[in-house]
Amino acid sequence: MAEVDQFDSALDLLRRLDPKHTSEHLNSLISLVPSLTEDLLSSVDQPLTIARCRTTGRDYLLCDYNRDGDSYRSPWSGEFETPLGGQGLGGVDDQGNNEGAGEGAVPSERVRDMEVRANEAFDVYRELYYEGGVSSVYFWNLDDGFAGVVLLKKVATPSGKSEGTWDSIHVFEAVDRARTAHYKLTSTVILHLSTGNDNLGEMDLSGNMTRQIESDLPVEDDTSHIANIGKLVEDMELKMRNLLQEVYFGKAKDVVGDLRSIASLTEANRDKATHQEMINSMKR
Amino acid sequence: MASPLATVSSFVEGAPPGEMLLPVLLPPAILDLFTEAICLDIKALTIDTPSLASQLGPAFEKYNEEQFATVKLPGSSQSVIVSSYNSLGDGRYYDVESSSSFVFDHSTQKASGVQSHVLESRQSDLVKSLLKSLSTHVKEHYPSASCGVYPIEDDSQIAAVVVANKYSPNNFWNGRWRSLYIFSPSSSSLTGSIKVDVHYYEDGNVRLLTTKPVSASVSSASASTIIREITVAEKKYQEEINKGFNNLSETAFKGLRRQLPITRQKIEWDKIAGYRLGQDIGGGSSKR
Repeated sequence: MAEVDQFDSALDLLRRLDPKHTSEHLNSLISLVPSLTEDLLSSVDQPLTIARCRTTGRDYLLCDYNRDGDSYRSPWSGEFETPLGGQGLGGVDDQGNNEGAGEGAVPSERVRDMEVRANEAFDVYRELYYEGGVSSVYFWNLDDGFAGVVLLKKVATPSGKSEGTWDSIHVFEAVDRARTAHYKLTSTVILHLSTGNDNLGEMDLSGNMTRQIESDLPVEDDTSHIANIGKLVEDMELKMRNLLQEVYFGKAKDVVGDLRSIASLTEANRDKATHQEMINSMKR
Repeated sequence: MASPLATVSSFVEGAPPGEMLLPVLLPPAILDLFTEAICLDIKALTIDTPSLASQLGPAFEKYNEEQFATVKLPGSSQSVIVSSYNSLGDGRYYDVESSSSFVFDHSTQKASGVQSHVLESRQSDLVKSLLKSLSTHVKEHYPSASCGVYPIEDDSQIAAVVVANKYSPNNFWNGRWRSLYIFSPSSSSLTGSIKVDVHYYEDGNVRLLTTKPVSASVSSASASTIIREITVAEKKYQEEINKGFNNLSETAFKGLRRQLPITRQKIEWDKIAGYRLGQDIGGGSSKR
């Protein structure tokens, strides 16, 4: 019981502390309460790390879902590598075990085939929407279907001191039903923006937002799964992009205006009173 | 690795505006919706080593003084500031306006032990006239704020402090504006900083953190001249923040992800296998 409370408290703390430093706070929490390590690592989204596939030379993204111990599986080769200098290759050992990422770490042949096609599809998606960046898709087997994660990362350095980083993490489950599948999608976007100059000083606007949807969609064959997941992710990203825009540039800006008014409040109140008077006189 | 106390102290230091303690000022009906705050999280996470939480006094004190915590004195409706500039030591702080001093409990953020405190300073005339002008300025531009003016550094300088808070936990956002100005009569200079902190946390965690150093020379050591510089600096800064929002939206944000592909159409996923990069997609990837 106490552990459940501690996990909730850790998540609440991460929801309040500066989101630009979530990874540091996460490490602090783990050192403070080591028993929370696995639960926190599997439920807290962190900015994605980029690695280069040794076989194909293409960049791919690292996360808890393609990790096995110190190794990560490249979506392009399907092989485990140790891009961060870890020791020993992960994956399935000679007893058929794979530690760390659990049974799903290596997908079955059918699911790996879908994973290959999903990586190709989201590579196109990435180019169309991000015009750069890196994408990776990882699938794993479930008893009654399969699950996966679609990852996208883009770093922008437009000019001067402005910086931006976007990380999308879309985790889904696809449960097979007769001629349809039930999809459950949990999406997190981590968006860091900062800018600065002599007149402005430093300005940092960082954070993450998470949204979930569930949907039943028709399935004819495995190709339908990729199209269905593609549509769900595309719609979700459009929705979240709009939401982020609203919160980052609408809400945050409004709160600054609520704290301090550029215009004189006396004048603003006088204008308001005049306006009210006009309305009252019209009512008469 | 940092000690557990240093770790927990860093959580205290990072608390967003109004989220250290439960929002005690809210009506009970709304308060029931909130069962969490930084302090309660820390308590739950250190339940096995309760001595940790009892050692957080210095972290709370640092946080409250740096954030310009405000507190209503018993029997008064006016909020007064807690900062290093009006500290008398041993947890006691003074307020010029009400000519009183009080004990501030840093862990509960409550005041007690109010006593009369008459300002004794060679600068007391300037301090009082500056406080009057600053209060007028604050009323003109801050719907809800507290301010204070204090002689510091053995009367060689004067600190002017403004803090505006707006807490809206039922809408999952809180904000704080802090201005600090130090006037040095000997060099006729005004230095300081303006900081804005906004937190939004509905199904997420979004934070605006800004900081801007202020530096100006003041032609005469009069309250009206100093306030004129402050007014100009704050107005200019707020306009710069608004420009900063536009700049981030138009450059950094737009450069990350398009709203729609260059074709202005969503992807036809049934045909995605037929899409080939650099072709067939309206030249959308020519930039790479």
